[in-house]
Amino acid sequence: MSLHQYAMVMDLNKCLGCQTCTIACKKLWTDRDGTQHMYWNNVETRPGIGYPRQWDQIGGGWKDGHLQPSRQPTLDDYGAPWEFDYDQRLYEGKGKPVMASPDPVSGPNWDEDVGALNGDENFYFYLPRICNHCTNPACLAACPRQAIYKRNEDGIVVLDQERCEGYRYCIAACPYKKIYFNEITGKSEKCIFCYPRLEKGEVNACAAQCPGRLRFVGLLDDPASAVHKLVRVYKAALPLFPEKGTGPNVFYVPPFNPPKRTNYGKSILEDPRLPLDFLVYLFGSEVKGIIVRIEAELVRAQNGGSSELLQLLIGRDAETRYQIKPQFVQIQARIG
Amino acid sequence: MTPMRATLKIVAVLGSSVLTLMFVGSETQARQKDVKAAAAGSTGMTLRVSAAASRVEALLDPLAGGWAKMPAQRVALNRTPRLYDTEAPSEPEIPFVDIRLARAEGKLLVNMTWHDPTRDAAEIAKLPSAPTEGRPHKELTEATDRFSDSAAVMHPTHAPVNGQWPSLQMGDPGNPVSIYFWNASRGAARMQAEGRGTTRRTGETFPAQAAYRDQAWHVTLELQDVSAGIPLAFAVWNGSQQDRDGRKYFTTWLKLE
Repeated sequence: MSLHQYAMVMDLNKCLGCQTCTIACKKLWTDRDGTQHMYWNNVETRPGIGYPRQWDQIGGGWKDGHLQPSRQPTLDDYGAPWEFDYDQRLYEGKGKPVMASPDPVSGPNWDEDVGALNGDENFYFYLPRICNHCTNPACLAACPRQAIYKRNEDGIVVLDQERCEGYRYCIAACPYKKIYFNEITGKSEKCIFCYPRLEKGEVNACAAQCPGRLRFVGLLDDPASAVHKLVRVYKAALPLFPEKGTGPNVFYVPPFNPPKRTNYGKSILEDPRLPLDFLVYLFGSEVKGIIVRIEAELVRAQNGGSSELLQLLIGRDAETRYQIKPQFVQIQARIG
Repeated sequence: MTPMRATLKIVAVLGSSVLTLMFVGSETQARQKDVKAAAAGSTGMTLRVSAAASRVEALLDPLAGGWAKMPAQRVALNRTPRLYDTEAPSEPEIPFVDIRLARAEGKLLVNMTWHDPTRDAAEIAKLPSAPTEGRPHKELTEATDRFSDSAAVMHPTHAPVNGQWPSLQMGDPGNPVSIYFWNASRGAARMQAEGRGTTRRTGETFPAQAAYRDQAWHVTLELQDVSAGIPLAFAVWNGSQQDRDGRKYFTTWLKLE
């Protein structure tokens, strides 16, 4: 356990799937040699195959105190980027339409908006993902070189590029597959929760750029923070796959889709557009209680009442959503 | 971590006596001696060193004619036991390594040859010196699940401490080992260690050349001179078996003649 813990809450009801967070992260951190397949922040459509492909089925995490086995994702699981042959087709007179090369077989957003059917109605939502900066990180435990550590002052999990030898036990151990191998440097890399920004009092790039204003960032143990209120007070957000045992510090407000076309006025639990089983698969059985609570808040607001939770979730300005405390965590770390 | 380490140490102690028996071509009497020597933390079979007439430069090529004239010593390779229960077990595929040693111009040249039907190596582009941000084209990762064939030679950094050479498992605290490590993708690097999990790069490199021919690796490593009586240990990593870290093939300590 670290002295403090930065956390992020993402309200899935507000995600547009626009990938602005993905590009903000990509431009800032993974526009380097060997990083073409890496998206420290990605947004995937759920239900769907995810990025890397089938990451939720591959393995890793903890069970009964033991790390679980996993295979290494291949480059195709991440999706090898392709180029279009504009020069040959448009300038050199080759007859066929513009083609991609190499032939694409997958990608980080391969099955966008495909979703699944619930009865005769389609459903899907977007799931933005970063490293969960876990309280009990499987990656850290799996590294024989102690290259991964959790910062005592703020709980951010970082990977020391000097210590790393590219063994990739961490990649296997992470049940979220949020560590990536860079073949050019021969080392693994991961989301650093934008700690250089946080240390200057700036929020993470993915959060700052989000047009949907769906991200909340602060110290989980700071009673004044939005993340503390959403997770600890209102209990409106849950981690992804809690049964993997790593104690994620990224939390999600579950998607609260409108009722099905023919069921206006009914409770979401009576006839959900999103099959509840799928939400339970992602977030565990506590998700039902959250949906009941948010629905009750919505009903109260619709009837002219006020709801602090809904006001907070609207997150009108940066001051509401982000409580970044660099001086506080640094002083605390110094006095220990 | 600690209980696992303890278990491994026991395996290694038992292993070193048993494994000494596996030297190819040793006589029974010599074997018994080896067992005693290994139990005493010393070593059995000795390594012959040829005094090369050639210059270092000529011998760096592992396929150079100078090497072919020297007799090879065939040393049995042992496979480390499974280190982590999350890793798939793997059977031994490389039974031995052929070693040739030569002294030339104050250097010890080590020629290692071993059979490996799969050549596992990435073609890492020589990166331009310009910062990555300044270049529109970035070098690409070609595979995320590939591990590279590698080899290494290790020797004690100092004279024996209290009469003991360092542990075969990357030395002991206060009794370090020096390592010459070659990787088929990334070239040569010098390392030091004082026990498992402590291996670190010194930042230095050293001359090494490799050739893959007829389903075998031929590698020459140029070491700073190592005196007679000092033990060497050799290791080989097979990328197709996902070898890296302590998941590898190794010899016991073998004293230089």
